[in-house]
Amino acid sequence: MPDPAPIIVVKDISKTFDIPGRPPVHALRHVTNHVDKGEVLVVIGPSGSGKSTFLRALNGLQPVDSGSIVIDGVELTDPKTDLNRLRQGVGMVFQHFNLFQHKTALENITMPQMVVLKRPQGEAEEIGNRLLKRVGIGDKGGSYPSELSGGQQQRVAIARSLAMTPKVMLFDEATSALDPETVGGVLELMKDLAADGTTMVVVTHEMGFAREAADRVTFMDEGAIIEEGIPESIFDNPQHDRTKLFLSQII
Amino acid sequence: MDWILDFYNFRVVAQYIPDFARGLGSTAWISLLALVISLSVGTVVAIMRMSANQLLWRPAAAYVQAIRSTPLLIQIYVIYFTLPALPLLGRRLDELEGGIIALGLNAGAYMSEIIRAGIESISRGQVEGAQSVGMTYLQRMRYVVLPQAIARVAPTLLGQTAVLIKDSSLVSFIGVFELFGAGLLVYNERLMPNEGYLTVAACYLAIYAVMLSLTGYAQRRLGGTAG
Repeated sequence: MPDPAPIIVVKDISKTFDIPGRPPVHALRHVTNHVDKGEVLVVIGPSGSGKSTFLRALNGLQPVDSGSIVIDGVELTDPKTDLNRLRQGVGMVFQHFNLFQHKTALENITMPQMVVLKRPQGEAEEIGNRLLKRVGIGDKGGSYPSELSGGQQQRVAIARSLAMTPKVMLFDEATSALDPETVGGVLELMKDLAADGTTMVVVTHEMGFAREAADRVTFMDEGAIIEEGIPESIFDNPQHDRTKLFLSQII
Repeated sequence: MDWILDFYNFRVVAQYIPDFARGLGSTAWISLLALVISLSVGTVVAIMRMSANQLLWRPAAAYVQAIRSTPLLIQIYVIYFTLPALPLLGRRLDELEGGIIALGLNAGAYMSEIIRAGIESISRGQVEGAQSVGMTYLQRMRYVVLPQAIARVAPTLLGQTAVLIKDSSLVSFIGVFELFGAGLLVYNERLMPNEGYLTVAACYLAIYAVMLSLTGYAQRRLGGTAG
C-alpha cells in the first residue's frame, strides 16, 4: 500500500506560451494535483493537452507562470530554490532518451554520480553495472548509445536516473519513440519499478500500462485536469464527455 | 645537375640547419602557447556570446568584431607598442610575450565563433538530460556540451590552427626570431630566396602534417563514436 504522505504537491499552476503572431497557448490552467510516496500517477490526454508541460514543470525544466510546486518539502517554484540540487532527487526519462552521445552506456550512468554526487569511480561503476543488469542489459555497458536499439537506450536512461537514487521518477512518453517490438519490454520494466514501490509520474499513451500499473489516473485536456480517479473508474466508468471521447478514440 | 643547385642549393641550406631548427622550435612554441590562449579565450567568449546577459554578450561580440575587422599585423603592434604605454602593466612586454598574446587573442576571436557554432549544434535534449540528473550549468558545459561540441568542430578548429601557425610568421615584424626569420636570414646573408623561403614553406607543411594526425587522435578521444 502506498504511504499516504504526499511527496509532490502541485497547487494551482498555470503556464501560457506566447507565440508571436498566434493566439496564446494555455498549456496549463490552474492545475492542482499531488503524488503520494510510493504512488504511481499516470497522466493521459490528447496531444497538446498539457500533460508533458505538467510533467516537465515537476523538475523545473518547464518554469510555470503562477502557482506552487513542492517536492519533498522543497518549494520548486521559489526563485531562491537551487533547481540543480532539487533535480538530483527527481529522475526523468525522456521520449528521446537524451543519453550522452559521447559516453558509453556505463559512463552515462557513472558520470552523473561522480560529477554530481561525488561518488568514487569504483562505487559508481558498481552501482552502474548492477543497474544495467537490473534493467536487463548487463552486457551492454561498453556500448555507445548509437550502437544500441531504442529500447536498450531507454533502459540505459532509466538506469541513469535510478543511479541518482531519486525520490520520484518522471516518465515523459518514454515509449513513444520506440519500435513496436521494444515497447513491451520497457513497459514491463516500468511495471517492475512500480511494483518495487518507486514513486512515479508517467505521461503515456499506453492505456494498458495505465490500467495495470497506475494507482491513480489523471485525464488532462486543453491544459486542465478534466477527471481523475483509480484506473477502473476512469477506464470503465468515465464521467466526463471529453474523457469518454478521448478513450473511444484511443482504444 | 647544376640547375638544381642553382634553383635550390641544399649545401647552403645545410649550413643553416641550426638556424632553421631554432626557428622551427620557436614557431612551434609560439604557436602552441598562442593556441592554448586562443582555445581558452575562444571557449569563454563563445559562452559569453550565448548569454542572455548584455554585460556578457556585448563585450564578447565587440571583441570578436574588433579582431575580425583589423589586420593582425596592427593587432601585434598595438599589443606590443601601445598597451605597455598604458599604466596597466607597469612594465614592457618583451617581443615574445607581445607576439604570443597578440596571436592568441587574434585566433581566440575566430575560435570562439567556431566553438559557438559547435555548442549551438548540440541538441537541447543533451542539455535536458544533464539537467535532469542535477548537473549545474558549468558541469553541463564541462562534461556534456563542450566535449561533443569541440569534437564536432575539430576539423574547423584544425583549419584555424593552421592559420594561426602561418600567421605566427608576422611576429617577426616585432623582432621575434622564428621560422620565417630563419628564411629571412638566408635571404639577407646569401641573397638566396628559394633556399630561404622554400625551406620555410616545407617546415610549415611538416608542422601541419603533425597537427593533422594529432587532431584525428583528439577527435576520437573526445567524441567517442558520436557522429
